[in-house]
Amino acid sequence: MTRATGIAATAFLAAALQGCATSTYYAWGAYDEALYAHYKDPQEREAFVENLKKVLLQAEQEGRRVPPGVNAEYGYALYEEGQYVEAVVYFQKERDLWPESRTLMEKMIRNAERQKPASPTPAQGPAGTLEKS
Amino acid sequence: MTRNVSIAAVALALLAGCAAAPPKKDYAKFIAASPRSILVVPVVNKSVDVDAPAYFLSTLPIPVAERGYYVFPVNLVKRLLEDDGLSDASLVHSADPMKLCNLFGADAVLLVSIERWDAKYVVLTTQVTVEFEYALKDGKTGETLWTDKRAMVYSSNGGGGGGGLGSLIAAVVSAAVTKAAPNYMPLARQVNAAAMIYPGPGFPAGPYLPSYRKDLPAAEAQ
Repeated sequence: MTRATGIAATAFLAAALQGCATSTYYAWGAYDEALYAHYKDPQEREAFVENLKKVLLQAEQEGRRVPPGVNAEYGYALYEEGQYVEAVVYFQKERDLWPESRTLMEKMIRNAERQKPASPTPAQGPAGTLEKS
Repeated sequence: MTRNVSIAAVALALLAGCAAAPPKKDYAKFIAASPRSILVVPVVNKSVDVDAPAYFLSTLPIPVAERGYYVFPVNLVKRLLEDDGLSDASLVHSADPMKLCNLFGADAVLLVSIERWDAKYVVLTTQVTVEFEYALKDGKTGETLWTDKRAMVYSSNGGGGGGGLGSLIAAVVSAAVTKAAPNYMPLARQVNAAAMIYPGPGFPAGPYLPSYRKDLPAAEAQ
């Protein structure tokens, strides 16, 4: 057992030292590259959304947990594109997956829900029934 | 016979030196604080490269999360801080860590500054240097739990190489290529990876790794 762990430790160390681990604990996909590309070309907003989506899909395909922050980052990218309803879905996913994110995600969910396009009918009560035809 | 023994002794001492971590870090505060979540905020830039902070920020979440801690989404955090009037990283870094952590519900905040991020042409070689200084501060007390300072240099013309016009031209081309497009990102990732290695300079396993609390330095382990 010591030999196996020794070999495993060396392999991990080698991979870590090379800066690109061959097998990471989480399925990151091209997450850091998506962030880098976003900072390089902030105008390419659709590409950022797409790249983050790919990370999510890859984790799903591999049957692995979506890593910390990725659902939230995708949710926020959608938020900045005005897709508030979808954004909430992903903030909720992050909150449910990572309890530590609860405070921030609930804040973001509240923000997103406030942003929802205002209803055309004025002064609705909680029942929200149609007051104008 | 005495010579063999002394050689063996020196060899053992060297091996022991290699196996043991360089200057042992005191993890007592880190372990006492036991953070589960880490807030990674925009980095302070002491280099002249204006792109460095954002690019470097993109390399931080993965190595920290891989140590088993929850890491908040860096871009979301950056944008929220900007919207709150904290678009200057130095303002963020000089803010009260307890207030910062409270804003996001984080246990600790990671403050990194870019000390060096440059590519210099020095006699047929381009040297790309990155250097970072890290500090992890406790969200409950504001205390510093962990610090590190790490650099890495890449030389476009690694070995001397044989003489001759061919290798001279190769060196010049290599240096020019590197100077035109320095390989900052792979270097930065390597530095972060090196900073996170444990046992060594890095973080003990966080709550999401199987080795959580099993890899603590003997003195601090309960």
